[in-house]
Amino acid sequence: METSVGAMKPQKPEPLEPQQLVARLDLLSAQLAFLVEKQRKQDEMLSELAPVLKQVMATATTRLDELEKKGYFAFGKEALGVAQRVVEAYSAEDVRLLGNAVVGIVDTLRALTQPEVLEIAGQASEVLMHADTAEPVGIFGMVRATRDDEVQRGMAVMLGLLKHVGRGARAISERKGGSSGTARPVLRLEANAGGTSGRALGIQRAPAAPAERRAPACAAAPSKPAVATTVIDGVEFAADGHMVDATAWTRALGENIARLHAVVLTEEHWKIVEFARAEFLETKASPNIRRITQGTGITTKALYTLFPRAPARTVAKIAGTPKPVGCL
Amino acid sequence: MTTIATSPRKVAIICSHGGLDEVYPALILANAARQSDIEAMIFFTFWGLDAITESKVDHLHMNLAGNAANTMPTVIAGLPGMESMAAKMMLKQMAELDIPGVREMLKILEESGADLYACELAMKMFKREKTDLIPEVKGVITAGDFYDLSVGAQIIFT
Repeated sequence: METSVGAMKPQKPEPLEPQQLVARLDLLSAQLAFLVEKQRKQDEMLSELAPVLKQVMATATTRLDELEKKGYFAFGKEALGVAQRVVEAYSAEDVRLLGNAVVGIVDTLRALTQPEVLEIAGQASEVLMHADTAEPVGIFGMVRATRDDEVQRGMAVMLGLLKHVGRGARAISERKGGSSGTARPVLRLEANAGGTSGRALGIQRAPAAPAERRAPACAAAPSKPAVATTVIDGVEFAADGHMVDATAWTRALGENIARLHAVVLTEEHWKIVEFARAEFLETKASPNIRRITQGTGITTKALYTLFPRAPARTVAKIAGTPKPVGCL
Repeated sequence: MTTIATSPRKVAIICSHGGLDEVYPALILANAARQSDIEAMIFFTFWGLDAITESKVDHLHMNLAGNAANTMPTVIAGLPGMESMAAKMMLKQMAELDIPGVREMLKILEESGADLYACELAMKMFKREKTDLIPEVKGVITAGDFYDLSVGAQIIFT
């Protein structure tokens, strides 16, 4: 200002013309008016903006609040916690194993996400979405439903699925049950055979037990001697009291055994014992009561009189043959 | 009978049904008991009486209708003659296995020392006399008598 004042100084001595003065004043007032107007506009804008800003701030605050309410922040915090727990709970070994399984997982995922599979899944999910409106169906309803072609197809698919699930379960159980080396090829063989061999009424029968493990038939050959045996005077007896080796029998031995069973052998007794021995040597089975009565012509009553306690068994013991089998 | 008294075990079998397939289990169980030196008695009551009735013992039928183990539809199984036909088939199969008939089984049982008893109340209900029964029957007894006779026995109901 000083410079301008200084600059104006030389003009100062010259008095301004009234017109010039008026023009200057005009200019000044115009400038002033502009400034005033500008200030007024700013004020206005500010006053207008204030509610908008307030609104913006309020909205922002509620948004954040909502997010908090919706649990975004809590979720974030929890997620961190989960990560922490995962690290604590699983060892590096576990993670390595998971890495090994990733190929399998990806393969499974790829198989499951084939368009055909997804289409079926989509169809199925539609039904599940309307599950709340489904009508209850009884056993007759089920039977009726099986007449539907699509249901039949679906059943076939489900049965196939079940079959494979079962096959997998069996493979796992056999692998766990040891001898994994042999169990799996056998399984594959059965799968190739289609399981048609052992099938009856659509039910897969368990494979027959090996012959030696099957229970002996009712009237089978002499039962195997019991494991526990007793040796009396050089003669081996099974736990059931019968001689283990029928060929080691002698008449004298028979008499001794009879005495042990409180039986004094008479001619009648010997007739029965000899018949029993002959029968055993011929059929490899000790005769039962009916066989003895039919073979010797003795009555049941007489037989029970000769050998009062369990006749067929007592006769077999005295004759040095195994315990008779069968129910009669 | 003196030997039976020394036996350590005893069974008392109650036979309450008269079907061929319902009588045999009682007879076979009793017979097996005697063969194993076990004292045995059979108490025939209600339809079981038919098994020891002279006029019925040889004509016992097999109950097909209402038998869940029978694969024949009940509608067909209930037709006249079906039961006797089934009984004939069963008897044939038993003969092939050399299983004695009911009358012969009862005789064997009596001879082997098993006691056969008829139920007094059932006898009255069916209007039967002791003379209507087969000779192997030892006596007609009441339920109370049955308990007296079966002291110490294992009781089997068929």
